[in-house]
Amino acid sequence: MAELEFIHVGKTYGGEAPAVRDLNLKIDEGEFVVLVGPSGCGKTTALRMVAGLEEITEGEIRIGDRVVNDLAPRERDIAMVFQNYALYPHKTIYENLAFGLRMRKVPKDEQRRRVEEIAQKLGLADMLNRRPAQLSGGQRQRVAMGRAIVREPEAFLMDEPLSNLDAKLRVQMRAEIARIQQALEVTTLYVTHDQVEAMTMGDRVAVMRDGVLQQVDTPQRLYDAPANLFVASFVGSPPMNLFEATVEADGTQLVFGETRLELGGPLLRDYSGRRLVVGIRPEEVREASGWDGARVRGRVLLVEALGAEQLIHIEIAASPLERADLVDAAAQPPGPTLGVEELERSVTLLGRFDRHLLLTPGEAVEVAIDPSLLHFFDLETGLALPTTDVPAVAGVAG
Amino acid sequence: MSSVTQIAPTPVAPVVTRPRSRKRLRKAGWNVLGLLVLAVMVFPVYWMVSTAFKPGHDILSYTPQFIPTHPVLSNFTDAIHQQFFWNAVKNSLIVTSVVVVLSLVLAFLAALALAKFSFYGRKPFIVVILGVQMVPLAALIIPLYILMSRVHQVDKLSGVIVMYLTFVLPFAVWTLRGFLLGVPKELEESAMVDGATRFGAFVRILLPLLGPGLVATSIFAFIQAWNEFIIAYVFLHTPEKQTLMVWLASFTTLRGTDWGPLMAGATLCSLPVIIFFVLVQRKIAFGLTAGAVKG
Repeated sequence: MAELEFIHVGKTYGGEAPAVRDLNLKIDEGEFVVLVGPSGCGKTTALRMVAGLEEITEGEIRIGDRVVNDLAPRERDIAMVFQNYALYPHKTIYENLAFGLRMRKVPKDEQRRRVEEIAQKLGLADMLNRRPAQLSGGQRQRVAMGRAIVREPEAFLMDEPLSNLDAKLRVQMRAEIARIQQALEVTTLYVTHDQVEAMTMGDRVAVMRDGVLQQVDTPQRLYDAPANLFVASFVGSPPMNLFEATVEADGTQLVFGETRLELGGPLLRDYSGRRLVVGIRPEEVREASGWDGARVRGRVLLVEALGAEQLIHIEIAASPLERADLVDAAAQPPGPTLGVEELERSVTLLGRFDRHLLLTPGEAVEVAIDPSLLHFFDLETGLALPTTDVPAVAGVAG
Repeated sequence: MSSVTQIAPTPVAPVVTRPRSRKRLRKAGWNVLGLLVLAVMVFPVYWMVSTAFKPGHDILSYTPQFIPTHPVLSNFTDAIHQQFFWNAVKNSLIVTSVVVVLSLVLAFLAALALAKFSFYGRKPFIVVILGVQMVPLAALIIPLYILMSRVHQVDKLSGVIVMYLTFVLPFAVWTLRGFLLGVPKELEESAMVDGATRFGAFVRILLPLLGPGLVATSIFAFIQAWNEFIIAYVFLHTPEKQTLMVWLASFTTLRGTDWGPLMAGATLCSLPVIIFFVLVQRKIAFGLTAGAVKG
């Protein structure tokens, strides 16, 4: 076991824009870090550089106290689980599991002992003589995991190992992998594009975009205090509601559409008279009755019943975010396409409501928003704004 | 309902049978055609084998004998005792086995380079490999003869081996490259992370998966090298150095053709190809990579 460190790591494929830019990230011994981002953000490239399957253009990668830049994959003592499992089809499950040990010249009986132990743990003991083609998807996935575990390597690298499983099995294996990692306490770098996987599995989550690391933090901190618009829109399902607003009255009021929101203090004094981006999580959009806070009027567009709760799309008057390049396109809430005409500029506010609330599409509705739970971002840079007064953004939702 | 079911069969029956019988007729027609094609393909082989067993007067009789009524083995003994038979067998075996082995090794390495590495000029190279196969052999004989005589390779088995390789390799490389492209790159990457060297990954993971491709290639190389006549005929002058195909031609002399022993010799020459094919054809099992990755 060892720590894993990226120091100013960059990767450029001849002539193209860099796939990874100045990546600095340290994964402590035994820590589970998830690298997450939309496809093409450089997360897999970063992982493959650690494995030695991709050359490092600049900077250095350390495993333990060794700089591994110039080491061959086999000399790095890491194990990797591939997205498509990459089982050796002509070898039996036993031979698949034992391959790494054989390559490392572990004595035969030691090989047998370790393979059988792992097979027992993963429920593969009856299948050691079969070939990969005779196994189900979930079993193949477990063989791929087993092949990594049996080596007892310095670190695990996992490249979207769950993306080929069906939804139910994925949830099951998600817990399984997290459990195995905790039991073995092996340093793990896990790559996924699925933010739910990232949030549920990682000790810390590193969000990447266009080859640039956006933020690294615990899942909860990432959710509560996203560093910029991209992270805000990427983390959370459904994603955060984002729209533009103007700061008025010396930073104490927020104006969007016909709504004037009292912030309860000069939170945004520096932004007085300027426009910025406001974000609010769907669960912080509340039904107005019995609530004294600021109110926003809107109209119900769509009700999605999820069983335990319901997602309600509410159209409100506000300016939609124009800098779409600052957010995760896939996570953006549906725009005002279902629009009501009298609202010139409208935004769909997604709210997560109790299932007992009865609302029908077309109905006018009032929701309450707690100003202290709002997130603010700079319109130009997309960076989260530090609010000048306290009951501010971070650490409130709980 | 019951009244309907009672009257239903009578009007329906002829309507159904007519297309069915037409279908059957068409099927029979195709089958007959297939048999005709088979007959055309098989008859020369049959004629070769049956002639090999006929005594001389039966072979030359004006009424063709389709079945040898008095089969004899004398043609075979004549053929085997013909001068240079065993020399020719030895030469053919040497040439063929060297060509098969060398072409497999070289084509595997070349195909690896083409399938797994990117280098400057790869695409044109692949196109050229395909292109050179389109040049007719007859057009190349004279330039090749001049070339080979300059490097003193005329009338030598090694010269013929090199020539055969130049004809077998493009096809072999092309075929193996196709098979290699079918193997996901994660397999060798996984092997390398698991502790194999790059070469080790090739040998332990890729090579076994390439089985069907290697078999297909080896059959092609075997047939090419064993059956080739023109190059061997032009390049090998000394009777001791000739291959079986050239040796067969020696039954045709100025005084005529000795059909019986020629056909017996031809039959004998066909056997190794058939034996080789039977031995390796079971290995042509496709779908070997099944289960490697989620499909």
